[in-house]
Amino acid sequence: MQTNFPSQLPQDGIRTLLLAMADDELVLGHRDSEWTGYAPILEEDIAFSNIAQDEIGHSLVWFTLLTPLTGLTPDQMAFERSYEEFTCCRFVTHPKGDFAYTTVRQYLFDEAERVRLTALSGSSYGPLKEAAAKILREEAYHLMHSKGLVERLGDATEESHRRMQAAVDLAFPQALGMFEPIDGEAELQKTGVFPGNVTLEHEWLNNVVSVLRGASLKLPIQQMNGKLKPQCKPELGGRKKSHTAHLQQLVDDVQLVYRMAPGGKW
Amino acid sequence: MTDTQWETYEVFHQTKKGDAHIHVGSVHAPDPQMALQLARDQFARRLKCTSLWVVPSRCVTATNYQDEDFFAQTTDKSYRDPKAFGAPDKLDPHAD
Amino acid sequence: MNMQERAPEEKQADFEARINRGERIEPGDWMPEEYRKSLIRMIGQHAHSEIVGQLPEGKWIPYAPGFRRKLTLIAKVQDEAGHGQLLYRAAETLGKSREEMMDELLTGKAKYANVFNYPTPTWADVGAIGWLVDTSAVINQTMIAQGSYGPYARAMKRICYEESFHIKQGYDLIVAMANGIPEQRSMVQDAINRWWYPTLMMSGPPDSLSLHSKQALKWKIKTKSNEQVRQEFVDLIVPQIRALGLDVPDKECYYDEKTGHHHYTQPDWEELKRVVSGDGPCNAERLAVRRQAHEEGRWVREALAAKGEKNRQDRSAA
Repeated sequence: MQTNFPSQLPQDGIRTLLLAMADDELVLGHRDSEWTGYAPILEEDIAFSNIAQDEIGHSLVWFTLLTPLTGLTPDQMAFERSYEEFTCCRFVTHPKGDFAYTTVRQYLFDEAERVRLTALSGSSYGPLKEAAAKILREEAYHLMHSKGLVERLGDATEESHRRMQAAVDLAFPQALGMFEPIDGEAELQKTGVFPGNVTLEHEWLNNVVSVLRGASLKLPIQQMNGKLKPQCKPELGGRKKSHTAHLQQLVDDVQLVYRMAPGGKW
Repeated sequence: MTDTQWETYEVFHQTKKGDAHIHVGSVHAPDPQMALQLARDQFARRLKCTSLWVVPSRCVTATNYQDEDFFAQTTDKSYRDPKAFGAPDKLDPHAD
Repeated sequence: MNMQERAPEEKQADFEARINRGERIEPGDWMPEEYRKSLIRMIGQHAHSEIVGQLPEGKWIPYAPGFRRKLTLIAKVQDEAGHGQLLYRAAETLGKSREEMMDELLTGKAKYANVFNYPTPTWADVGAIGWLVDTSAVINQTMIAQGSYGPYARAMKRICYEESFHIKQGYDLIVAMANGIPEQRSMVQDAINRWWYPTLMMSGPPDSLSLHSKQALKWKIKTKSNEQVRQEFVDLIVPQIRALGLDVPDKECYYDEKTGHHHYTQPDWEELKRVVSGDGPCNAERLAVRRQAHEEGRWVREALAAKGEKNRQDRSAA
């Protein structure tokens, strides 16, 4: 374990936070990569493959920060852990669906990333602060891309509108699971490591509501006491390791070849 | 057959500030902003890039190879070539 | 005098003289109809090969062992889409739309490299494709980069640069497994055994059997015969296979001191005919996948086009 870890910061909480982010990125990046070879048009195939590589690359950054805190390499953490130990939100584990669902999911995730990474760029934990600032710069392009697609597809044709609305209906309650509280959050807030999911969710809601409504898409949201409040049941459980069957299949796939010679030469 | 592949945009790529923009190819795109993004992913994912221009292909006006006379310079033009004069090179601040 | 005013025989003679001088032909240049048609067919086939070629390796992205392999494979398969994009564009300069070319591929009218009709049942196949298939492709492509048609030659230069990454990642994958546990090593040998002849067939049938090869050589669309390209591949790859302590799946393969080349057994050209005409192990599957992706993506292409058109109208009205 890291011996020069700042004693005033909560190591457990930081580990939990990093693992949640690492798992989110790995699983979403994996889902994104399922479009390579299948995208609606060649140029988008190329573009989306960049996003998939970036997300998996970001997951690698978080797992690398976890190495001194766990004694495990990124490959060991991603390719040897049981799916029951993953802490990604359930949102990212769902199958890729049609391009509308993928686009809406990517946009909602990218917007959450922007809000989270901006906050973490001021974190009291140095390695986290540095990594967040770096990743934030790459994420700017993702958000431009996914937001651009949402704004265009939301009301382009009758069919695109129908599909995008169906995607939002499905994805929005799932997306709220990104902000499910994690263990040790109060400590993380107190010590300035992380501002907490409640704060992030508020800011995220303000952003996504204006973009989605601007694209003629409806959301189950109401304004109450000056705050936006979702009017749907969020899909929680991921942070508490309660997962969909999809994740089990996904992790089996991810680890299939690796398991033939775990820790071996690949 | 309806063409659903979108129109093409010519892509110009500047490696670093101070360099000229070079034509590197084209992308199919539904609008100029998406053309920029798609050009970035196709032509700048490895190469260093500081600026991209995209121009709808239909906006490019070009000469015709069949009309060679457009570039014909068949009579003596040496009067405007600095080498055609007997003056010493030292006069020219740019001479090596 | 302008080209339009000259007699057809003069134009043809001029054109062939330019080719013989090693000059480049550009879009808009006068060219014989046969040259244009050959190029559209050749470049189109090459483009189709790239995008169909995404599938055999793309299949293994979800299962790639480790972060580095996973990221590298996504990047490689992405490059193949990128190469397809460049090649379709080169073919478009000759007057054929990408929509039309896609349609020909998906309805089975157009051909693509038969090598991609073979299955990839193991992870080691990913290495075999990067190492064997891409090496053969680069030898072919380096040659075409010297070819007569400007847009095709330029696309090839760009593509060759990225292909060196493809070969290296494939070779690296094979070497890692060859130095791994016995099961990994035998998986590698098995993959080489299955990909050897399909890769040899990639360079095309012996020129005596090839309709198009002679014409392509005459017009310097390509500058080496199929046999020359295949020999170059064998001479390069056999020592590499042996250096890893692996077997070349051809008992008749030996180095001939007199010729300075490796003697090898010709692939079964009847099998090539069968596979190319649609009877290979994966032809139907590959096309079905591409057809599905194309159809499922139609609403996206149409929606973005409609939105683009609307924005354009709004801008000119402003």
